[in-house]
Formats: sequence, structure tokens, C-alpha cells
Amino acid sequence: MTTGTPKEVITAAALTAPSARAQERPTNVLIVGVGGQGVIMISKVIALLCERQDLDVKQSEVHGMSKRGGSVFSHLRFGQRVYSPTIPIGEADVLVALEWAEGLRWLPFLNPETGTFLADTQQLIPPFSCRSRKPGAVTNYARHTVAEVAGKVPNCFATDASRMAAELGNARAANTILLGMLSTALDFPEQEWLTVIEQLVPKKTIGANLRAFAAGRTWVEQHDPAAMHAEAPAVFPAAADLGDYVARSAPEINAAWCKGCEICVKFCPERCLFMNDRQVAELKDPDLCTRCRVCERLCPDFAITLHRLDA
Amino acid sequence: MTEAPAPEFVIREYLREHLMPHFLCPGCGHGIALRALLWAVHELGITKDRLAIVSGIGCSGRIGAYVDANTFHVTHGRPLAFATGLKLARPDLEVVVITGDGDCLAIGGNHLIHACRRNLNITCMMLNNEVYGMTGGQVSPTTSNSRYTTTTPLGNFEPTFDACALAEGAGAGFVGREITLQTPALKNLLREGLAYPGFAFIEVISDCTEIYGRKNDLGNSAEMVLSQKAAARPDVYTNSVDRPFRPNQLRTGVLARKDRPEYAAARQRHLQSLGNVE
Repeated sequence: MTTGTPKEVITAAALTAPSARAQERPTNVLIVGVGGQGVIMISKVIALLCERQDLDVKQSEVHGMSKRGGSVFSHLRFGQRVYSPTIPIGEADVLVALEWAEGLRWLPFLNPETGTFLADTQQLIPPFSCRSRKPGAVTNYARHTVAEVAGKVPNCFATDASRMAAELGNARAANTILLGMLSTALDFPEQEWLTVIEQLVPKKTIGANLRAFAAGRTWVEQHDPAAMHAEAPAVFPAAADLGDYVARSAPEINAAWCKGCEICVKFCPERCLFMNDRQVAELKDPDLCTRCRVCERLCPDFAITLHRLDA
Repeated sequence: MTEAPAPEFVIREYLREHLMPHFLCPGCGHGIALRALLWAVHELGITKDRLAIVSGIGCSGRIGAYVDANTFHVTHGRPLAFATGLKLARPDLEVVVITGDGDCLAIGGNHLIHACRRNLNITCMMLNNEVYGMTGGQVSPTTSNSRYTTTTPLGNFEPTFDACALAEGAGAGFVGREITLQTPALKNLLREGLAYPGFAFIEVISDCTEIYGRKNDLGNSAEMVLSQKAAARPDVYTNSVDRPFRPNQLRTGVLARKDRPEYAAARQRHLQSLGNVE
């Protein structure tokens, strides 16, 4: 970049600056998430921190609901002099992802040689990645595991920060855990981070946030980068927690009770029922049925039953 | 699952199976309402021995007979009067009145207002299908404007009763309204009504496809319940922005809930004040 610049132009001040690189090229931090997780809060903390260090800082964000098709991100650039508020592709020094798939979406922005990827491995599966309404059905959510991604980026730190935060007592502090992880990647004194966090978070949550920050920081410090992805949480929890879901049989239709009102045929969301030539409802394909029980509840003749399989 | 699964609601356990299939026409919403009622009863853990269903005359009156519990099929318009006597004699019973719009508002209108006034611990489920279905499709107090019935061949011009407003005005402690399509919401409303200590009046918007729907070209039962859904404005949508654009919507959900003294408690207090304690 400085080719052709005569040596005499370099001032004494430049020589005493922390590094020539920091002076010429700002540090780029890209924070991404799905919205409502604290993307903006993280960027506010860094921006305030930089202001306190008398650094030039520019921040540019888009907020909305990325899971509904938009995206939530915050570009943050700081250094001796920052001109553009946005980070070019491949120039982000740190990519902070508050959701796993969002992190993967923004990976091209990460510097392929020196970049650091900090991610929360929690998965928030968007509605449009659910192609089948059957309970436990496979979704179109990104399938890359932490180990796969770690092999492709220079530095990768991924953990289930949301679970860590929940264990600490406040699931909403997951972003502060990532802030703690981020504090090891950026060159600011720890006390400065703590001061800024105390200043920004609501008074009632200061304690929880400081604990979360410390947890994130120690997590990075105590983990051996080589070994940590072996214990990384399985990105795909097999047969996700189905809550109070109960396995049921396909609808059994009592032909003697059915009067052929067609209400079940008209309201079945999967169109898996039809009226046969005797004007009695019949199941077309039990594999299509998602066991939603709409037909059972709306049958005025009590002719449809979805039997419980565990009883 | 960690805890034992809740007992499954199997409607057959609550029905007199030898009487099934029931006599209702195809697509009649009364069946869905009966399911919601039995579901609520099941969830509250009311045993069949403790459940007493009193029903009047009409399509709605007949559905009580299919329930395997203590059922009374009484004279036209008088189920509330019978239920009042039953509840006073047997306060341990959970008394449910199933009645129709004509049964409850026309023939039994007097009994309704006094049951509301007394606030005895009874649950009244009024199935509103806007017509006298069983007797051949005559106009009822809730038939909508300009609808054709056998007694209004040129269309109905009489103003209609708002049954919920009537019950609330007469002093019912709990008033609610729901459509049959929202079966779980209807079940929750009935459950709340059954648990309410006082007179609970619940209007269920039902559909009469064979007589009322056919005469007024309202389509099949699926189309009728969908138009009910379009007309309803659940009370939980308290969106003040939305309201001006949908001004004539039918409010559903819990419409009134008052803390009024229940009849038996009031009676007890009165006897105590006379020094005549039981």
C-alpha cells in the first residue's frame, strides 16, 4: 500500500503508534444475528469503548427480522481514521454471530487469512426452512458442523452461549458472553470493557451481564483451540425436543357414523382426506397426514379418531 | 416425558354409543359444540355421575341425550327452570344447560333473564344457529336481517337479539361467545364457564346447513363456518387500530366476568341474618 512513498515522509508520531497497520487500516468487526439478541448492544459497547480510547469509529446497521427474510447486522469499523462505514467482503477481522446459520451466511466477509469467527451455536430455525409440517421432520437449516467450519476459517471459537447464559441465570445475556469472547480478540484493557458494559446495560442486569462477560472471556482463555471443537455442542440435536407432542395413529374413520359433510376434507391442511363414492370420508395417504387433529376436532359426527400410540 | 401422560380425552367414553350416530344433519355445528363441552368436562375432571345435563326442545335439546351422564330432556323453553330446581336440590351436581336460540331467547326468554338475575351456579350453553331447525325452519329471535325462513318468505326484517348483551344486562356473572371452528378456544371458554362460581352464559355460534344454509344459499358447512370465522373478532385482538376498519364484527371470547354473589351463598347469608342457620 505504501509503495512509492518516500521514507522521509513517515513522521516520528507514526513510528511510535502501536502499529503501522492500525494506523492505515481500520479494525473491522461484523456482528450478525436474527434480531432481538443484542447485535446493536454489542456494537454500542465497542463504539463507546473506541470513543473512550480516542479512536475514530463508524457503525452502520440494518435491523429487522432476518428470520423473516431480511437480515440483522452491524458493521463496526474503528482505527486512527475511518472513512467508509461499511466493511468490504473478506475484510472483517472479527465476525461475531449470535446465531449459527447467520454466522455461516456472513462468513464471506471474514478475512480469509487472519479473521476470527466467534459464534453462538444456538439454532433458531426459521419457518421457511421447515418444508414438512410433520413433527421431527428434517428442516432445510444449514448442516455444517462446528468442526467443519473451524477447519475453514483462521480462528474459530464456537460455543452454545445461549445455554451458558441460561445456566448463569439469564438467557438474554448470551450476547454479553460473546462480548467476553470478543474482548480476547480486540486489544483493549479488560477494565475498560467492564466500565462500558456497566454504563450501557439496564441497572438491574449489571451483575448478570458482568458474570456473562467473565464467563465468555474465561471460556476462550481456558480452551485449547485444537481440542475445543471436539466438545462443541452437536449442531444438529437429533429429533429435536418435541415438547408435549404425543405420537398418534393416522385418522381412523368410523364409516357408520360419518354423514359425509365434507368438513374434514375441506379443512385438512395436507389434503389427505377425500370423499369416496359412498359419500364417506376416507384417508388418501396416511404418510401425508401430520396428525394435526383438525379433522378429529371438527368432525360433528365424532367419526374420526387419532389414537394415542403410547397408551 | 417426565410426568405421566394426562388422561386422554376419548369422546366415546362420554357417549351413549347405542344411540350413535346422532340424528343431527350432516355438517351441523352442534356436534362440534358437544365435543367441546365434553372435552371441557373431561379436562376439569368432572365425573359422569356428577354431570347433569338439562336440555330443552329443538336440535340443541336433543344432543344432551347422547351424553352418558345424568340427562334431562324437558319441556320447550324450560331447561333453565328445571336446572334451577335441580341445582337447589342437588348442589353437588355440575348442572349444564344445553339450549338453542329459540328455546332460550323466545320461549324461555323469561327463564333466562331470571336465571341470570339469580346467578345460580349453572352453566348455560346456548347454541345459536339463527333458526328453529327441528320444527321446519321458522324465524327465531336471532335470525339475521333479510334472511329467508319458512315464516319469512320475503326475508326477515325484525331486529335480532344480542344474547350475550341480554345475559350480561340481566346480570349473568360470566358471559362468553365462541364459534365452533375454534374448537380448542370454545373448550377453554366452556371450561372457564364451568369453573366459574355463578351463572355462566356461553353463546356458541353454530351452523344449520340443511335448513337455514340451504334456504339462504350459504354453502356447505365448511363455507358456513369459514364465514363465521370471518365475522368473528376475538376479544383478545384488542387492537384499536383494527377496530375502525371492521366495525360490525361479532365479539368472541370472554365478554363479561363479574364478581357477583352466587345464589346459594346469598341465600346462606340471608338465612344467617335471620338467625336461621342451617
